[in-house]
Amino acid sequence: MPVYKLPIGPQHPAIKEAFHFTFDLDGEVVVDVKPRLGNVHRGIEKGMEFRTWVQGIFLVERICGICNTPHTTCYALTVEELYGVEAPPRAQYIRTIINELNRIHSHLLWVGILGMELGFWSYFMYVWRDRERVMDVVEMITGNRVTTSAIIIGGVAYDITPEMEGPIRRAMDYLEERTKFYKKVLETDPTIRARTQNVGVLPKSVAIDLCAVGPTARGSNVKSDVRFEEPYCAYGEVPFNLVTYDTCDVWARAMVRIDEVLESINIIRECLDKMPNGPIRLRLPRAPPPGEAMNRVEAPRGELLHYCKSDGKEYPYRFKARTPTLANIPALCEMLKGYYIADIPAIVASIDPCYCCTERLIFRDVNSGKVWAWTYDELRRYSLKWFKSNGGRRK
Amino acid sequence: MMDALYALFSILVYPGLLFISILGLIYEWVDRKAVARFQNRIGPFYTGPRGFLQPLADFIKLMAKEDITPAWADKILFGAAPLFALVIPTFATLYIPFAGKPVLPPFEGDLVLIISLTTFFTITAFVAGWSSTNRFSTIGAVRAGLQLLGFEIPMFIAVASVAMSAGSLCITTIAESQVVEVQIAGATYKVLLPYALLQPLGFAVYLIALQAELERVPFDIPEAESEIVAGWLTEFSGKKLAFLRLSSDVRLVLGAALATAIFLGGGSGPLLPPIIWFLIKATIIVIISAMLRAMFARIRIDQMVRGAWKYLIPLSLVQLILTKTLLVVK
Repeated sequence: MPVYKLPIGPQHPAIKEAFHFTFDLDGEVVVDVKPRLGNVHRGIEKGMEFRTWVQGIFLVERICGICNTPHTTCYALTVEELYGVEAPPRAQYIRTIINELNRIHSHLLWVGILGMELGFWSYFMYVWRDRERVMDVVEMITGNRVTTSAIIIGGVAYDITPEMEGPIRRAMDYLEERTKFYKKVLETDPTIRARTQNVGVLPKSVAIDLCAVGPTARGSNVKSDVRFEEPYCAYGEVPFNLVTYDTCDVWARAMVRIDEVLESINIIRECLDKMPNGPIRLRLPRAPPPGEAMNRVEAPRGELLHYCKSDGKEYPYRFKARTPTLANIPALCEMLKGYYIADIPAIVASIDPCYCCTERLIFRDVNSGKVWAWTYDELRRYSLKWFKSNGGRRK
Repeated sequence: MMDALYALFSILVYPGLLFISILGLIYEWVDRKAVARFQNRIGPFYTGPRGFLQPLADFIKLMAKEDITPAWADKILFGAAPLFALVIPTFATLYIPFAGKPVLPPFEGDLVLIISLTTFFTITAFVAGWSSTNRFSTIGAVRAGLQLLGFEIPMFIAVASVAMSAGSLCITTIAESQVVEVQIAGATYKVLLPYALLQPLGFAVYLIALQAELERVPFDIPEAESEIVAGWLTEFSGKKLAFLRLSSDVRLVLGAALATAIFLGGGSGPLLPPIIWFLIKATIIVIISAMLRAMFARIRIDQMVRGAWKYLIPLSLVQLILTKTLLVVK
């Protein structure tokens, strides 16, 4: 059979977001894959330059709907670095709790999606029903279920009162029991194992070469987790384990996430035990002093990177985010080769893709419809020229 | 004159076309509701009492929708496929003895006819997918054809071992042969001894193969939603899709009714009239099928065909050999 092309996306039931793959297929086997990003580019980085530092929080958490808390955490840490301050200890603990709640909700969401991609709708329904419990806790603490705006520059917006502790612990007990059950299903169900084991194998050396991050890397037995390497918030003070699996397949990535949910539950309990008293936020001037800062945070999908540059005004001079999905796309293309069409949804889902956070740069000539990408040098040359001809960044 | 009118009534209304279509819609509701309960949902709820009319509402809605034929499709085949897809299983269902005897006169060999019609259905699905010339449809069509290689043979053998012990290839005779006379203390009792109990292995193989024939999880490979959109159904819309949906309902009726007739003794049972017994048993089959649908993840086409040849066919052959041995020993 000759090689033929199968376009998947931007609209496709397996990929809920707008993303395009062109697969070269030999029968049912994937020979090559070409990803194309840029369908949901929203110009957030430029938009940041037109908002004050505080307004930036509300834009930055909309980079990704699901893992919004790591984005605000990373942004807040970066801006605090510019100010040269650190949030009070109690705020650090609350940040850790909210981040871990977000990780639980994101990972459970993903485990449900895996079930859906495999056609296992019951698994999806059960996992998502229990995920509601995390959202209830988040709602109790912050007033919102997903996009919370809880983390602000200099601390957190909401306190965890002593009355909230009981419900949080009860929810954690419930989730621990349910997550152990879902882990058992992943370990024992014959159809799930048949569809995920030895599928989408990413050997450790390849994962390192292609700079895979987060659970994708940890599923390939790469010990990489920002929470360990560069502890932020309260991660340096609570004990937890780094989860890795060495089977390097979709199943390993699923197990990493399920185990991380269990770890997160323990982190939240530890944080509640050790929570210090004190203020939850600092009062800061409107604009940080000139300078630049960069910070890394472990989002549910992997390492997230924010960069901010200040020129002493009340707007950021430059903001840049590198999201984990972008880092995982080269690894994803490598994983897909040699497997069946039927494996595509499971493999694509296994990096927990979040395209709306990924899409940053695309060039499209509106008149001719031509789409192209630039190298860094070309982009730099263009930006220098633009700066010269416009005499500044904002008119 | 009355005979002719009665024949017409029985073909068109009860237990003919209208009855089968309505039963199909009801079973779709039972199936959806059962799967919803297994998945901790409520399922259809608002249309009619407990969402009872939801399948009918879906059907009417689809009939009213715009019907698009792709520019590159083979227009004749594309238009004909939904009709064939509906007619073939409906015709086959007319040979099922719902209320004691079937609509069309039973003959020695109607079991073979029904089984071969199910094969024809798969060929219709293949033609439907192939004629739409969509990439996803084409892949779905090829998968439907491949899946046939997996489920058809074990299903045939499972049914054959029943036919062998009943000594007949007529569905009505097989259904009736499951009522045996037992003499206890001088009195003669009629006892239902279904083949599901006598040949549990064959029954299990039939149920699994039925799941593949109906293209349901774990064998919904030809229309795998997350992989190839809707498989061979992708390009169908409006009336054509309504017919295809109704066709899958009728196939559910056919599969459940055939299992009831040859494995569960058809309509025989105490007190209640045969049609009621028949429907109760068929509903149980539908619920078992819904349970299987809720229990598994979808497997891959290569795993499906390999699994069918590795497990289903040997199991059905074991059943066949056991049956034959028992018959010889008797």
